[in-house]
Amino acid sequence: MPAQNLTRSERFYRALLRLFPFDFRGDFGPEMEQAFREQRVHAQRDAGKIGLFRLWWETIAGIFTTAPAEHLSMLRQDVRYALRMLRQNPSYTAVAVLTLALGIGANTAIVSVIHAVLLKPLPYRQGDQLLMLQQRADKVGLAGIGYSVPEMNDYRKQNSTLSSLVEYHSMQFTLLSKDQASRVQTGVVSNAFFGMFGVKPILGRDFTSADDQPGAPAVLLLSYEYWKKHEHADPNIVGKTFQMNDRVHTVIGVLPPVPQYPNENDVYMPTSACPFRSRPQLIANRNGRMLSLFGRMKPQVSLEHCKADLSVISARMIRQHPEAYAKELGIHTAAVSLRQELTKGAAPMLLVLAGAAGCVLLIACANVANLTLARMAGREKELVLRSALGAGQSRLLRQLFTESLILAMLAASLGVLFASQSLKLLVDFTARLTPRAREIHVDGYMLLFALAAAFLTSIVSGSVSALYSRRDLAAGLKDGNTQSTMGRHRVQARDILVVCQVAFSFLLLVGAGLMLRSFSKLRNVDPGFVPQRVLAMTVDLNWSKYVKPEQRRRIADRLLEKIQAQPGVSAAAISSSYPLNPDDIGGGPNQPLSIEGHPLPEGQRAPLSAIRSVSPEYFKALGIPLIAGRVFAESDNEKLPDVLVINRAAARHYWPGEDPVGRRVSFDKGAHWIKVVGVVGDVREFGLDQEPGDEVYVAQAQTPAFASIVVRTSQAGMDMSNQMRRAIFEVDPQTAIPNVQTLEQARNASMASPRVMTDLLGIFAALALAIAAFGIGGILALTVNQRLNEIGIRVALGAKPGDLLTMILGQGMTLVVIGLGLGLLSAVALTRLMKTLLFQVQPTDPLTFLGVSAVLGGAALLACYVPARRALRIDPLRALRGD
Amino acid sequence: MDTALTPAMFQVLLALGDGEKHGYAILKEVEEQTDGHVRLSTGTLYAIIKRLLIDGAIQECRQRPPVEEDDQRRRYYRLTTAGRQVAMEEAERMERLIATARQRHFLKRLKPA
Repeated sequence: MPAQNLTRSERFYRALLRLFPFDFRGDFGPEMEQAFREQRVHAQRDAGKIGLFRLWWETIAGIFTTAPAEHLSMLRQDVRYALRMLRQNPSYTAVAVLTLALGIGANTAIVSVIHAVLLKPLPYRQGDQLLMLQQRADKVGLAGIGYSVPEMNDYRKQNSTLSSLVEYHSMQFTLLSKDQASRVQTGVVSNAFFGMFGVKPILGRDFTSADDQPGAPAVLLLSYEYWKKHEHADPNIVGKTFQMNDRVHTVIGVLPPVPQYPNENDVYMPTSACPFRSRPQLIANRNGRMLSLFGRMKPQVSLEHCKADLSVISARMIRQHPEAYAKELGIHTAAVSLRQELTKGAAPMLLVLAGAAGCVLLIACANVANLTLARMAGREKELVLRSALGAGQSRLLRQLFTESLILAMLAASLGVLFASQSLKLLVDFTARLTPRAREIHVDGYMLLFALAAAFLTSIVSGSVSALYSRRDLAAGLKDGNTQSTMGRHRVQARDILVVCQVAFSFLLLVGAGLMLRSFSKLRNVDPGFVPQRVLAMTVDLNWSKYVKPEQRRRIADRLLEKIQAQPGVSAAAISSSYPLNPDDIGGGPNQPLSIEGHPLPEGQRAPLSAIRSVSPEYFKALGIPLIAGRVFAESDNEKLPDVLVINRAAARHYWPGEDPVGRRVSFDKGAHWIKVVGVVGDVREFGLDQEPGDEVYVAQAQTPAFASIVVRTSQAGMDMSNQMRRAIFEVDPQTAIPNVQTLEQARNASMASPRVMTDLLGIFAALALAIAAFGIGGILALTVNQRLNEIGIRVALGAKPGDLLTMILGQGMTLVVIGLGLGLLSAVALTRLMKTLLFQVQPTDPLTFLGVSAVLGGAALLACYVPARRALRIDPLRALRGD
Repeated sequence: MDTALTPAMFQVLLALGDGEKHGYAILKEVEEQTDGHVRLSTGTLYAIIKRLLIDGAIQECRQRPPVEEDDQRRRYYRLTTAGRQVAMEEAERMERLIATARQRHFLKRLKPA
């Protein structure tokens, strides 16, 4: 009955019936309406309004209890049927589930990482209000020169946008226990530091302002990791004392596991307990910049507003104290949100990986859709039959979606397994990029994401197959010939899917190829030294024992003598650092200098140079070649005038086209001049991907700066590390050796992130290639099957094998070539996003593009060749008889 | 039968015991045979009908009443042999149950006729 002729209550009843499944409604709807109409008439006649009310009540309650049960029973039926279908096609099921599982797993893992690192709010109270102040010297290219105590006090007093401003610096103390000395990385902070971040100790108490008074007893907060690792999570740790350098410190609490920034510390102490920070000279010195400052914005204050406030204060400071802000440095202050600062290193790599993982999932989806379409050709009879038996169109669609959803769910559970297994690898990788890596866990979000990916996948692959099955079924019913109903649009759909797969695979392969090229360039780059068989040790003397330069010089000499006397040592040196030292990542100290005979034009800034203090055998130990003049000798000591060795880059910049040996430079604007005695080769000090900058070496004996020992050994470096440790402890057992590594290890470690990135992209690309090749081969095999008749006729009419091969390969390869073209275009547009990750390789590197095209084309050709070969072996008689 | 017979399903089978009926007639019959204690809603009734059809306990009649009494929207259902069998078994089960209850003095003893 048309709706407009119904009474209001009949319309309402019809609306209620929509709660039942479509099929149920179709079967019983009109009958139910009729029965209800009669019920209503009788109820009104027998009991009036009360009777009607009672009827409505019972009817509505009845529909609300039976409709969900009907849906459920339908779903159960669909699932049972779908499972039977999947069991009957084990190879289809296995391939579909496995490819989807890899796609879903990769995405789940990457998205978990992105969620934890980039999306989740910081694990601090109202983390979006937190910011980091950065005093920059832009004219000399320094992003963070730190703040001095007077500067901090000015910002604290004069700002109007911050509710709190705290300081931080980090230094190393030597912890003396009964067995041996060890280094403790110590954060020195304002007493309000943790309060500002909203971090509460899990044991004991936070610092108070009383702890931060001059002369207060020295107290410590332990980081969670240090407490776990070195104190075995001792619940009674509060009150324990640590002998650090010359002072006894009492533990007052343990911090929760939160990301620590700017660097991870073992313990924290208030500023009054730090021997440098508490020195009156430093407190008064506006140039003593050693602090990092963090602030919390007042509620409702924007970052822009806050920045403006801080720059006003900065400008005022510069006006009031011009002597502390040399014009040529261009000092000013900036602020960045802490969240952005914490994750800036990780974002580009993670986003590229997410893109790659997304591509893999899309390719897998296309593959499953393709498989489903191909399989539906075989199921045509069954589907037509089912629809003839009265299964409604929507019933069949529902069935198709149920099938793909079950596939996707199976894949998702497997994918979560993959993801949780690979997460450790990803955490290790991310930890190099951001302190937030520790927040990555297998959690509810991960499961939620896998579930969402499964739904998305089933919708994508299900709707593709549903869309193209719809029209074909009608045609199938009409003529009943299963061969000819292989509708044209379905063929087109599958062609499009293959083209997409090829295009996405191309994109991924190019990404991986670029990373691989970049990585191999990085690995083959000449670091400027010979890393084989060199042992580098970071050495921390107990500095409270060696206060005077003379004392430090003597202990350094004794240590060096002891090391040089060890068997197997061919050269040894002490130095302020060594190449690729993990402590130096991001660059070492740069010093402005003046060059004799080249006065600085007005307004131009002085050249900057990295400074290394080394003992004579340093160059020999590291294998840095001498280019001109001489290196340091034992005779270059404190009694003689200072001398310098410079690197080739400095020589070229300071004295272009001239001989630098015998020339002089000054670090104090001409008050003292120091002579250059030699030129050595350039070294990539701060990372293999960083071009060597200007570098100046000073002699240890003249400018002592003892922090590491480098040793060239006759055997593999690490074998000798214990021997070296023993030798050092024999000289002074209170020496901490926090880091021992060979320079080959340092070199490998510095390449770790690009290596993992290359590996991950490589895995994704290989996956994509395999899935795509499989897809192309599968499609072609199916086409050959469907064209058996035609091929048989061709053979019978005398077609040569070569012609057949060309025909079939041509069909497959046309799709591949179109896919390659599309992939090429999108790669040109998208690889630019990877620019920051590449070393000495352009994002549109023609060699990579060419190579990838060849690999993909080759794989596709192989995939096409297998089914084509089958076509050649067809017996024309059988094919023609063909059933 | 795949599913357990619920009391409501049993009532529907009983209602069809004396011949074929359409939906509304079944509703009325169930109400009458229980003195108004069991009132099925249309939703519940048709969920039961669907179940019983699938299980083969009832079937739709091909023969329809004379044209002047017929309403095209109605469908008529009747018991199958299997459905009658199921209903009989259920009735016997209940009879045994009642007998046991009587033995244990949950019910008054029947007076001898």
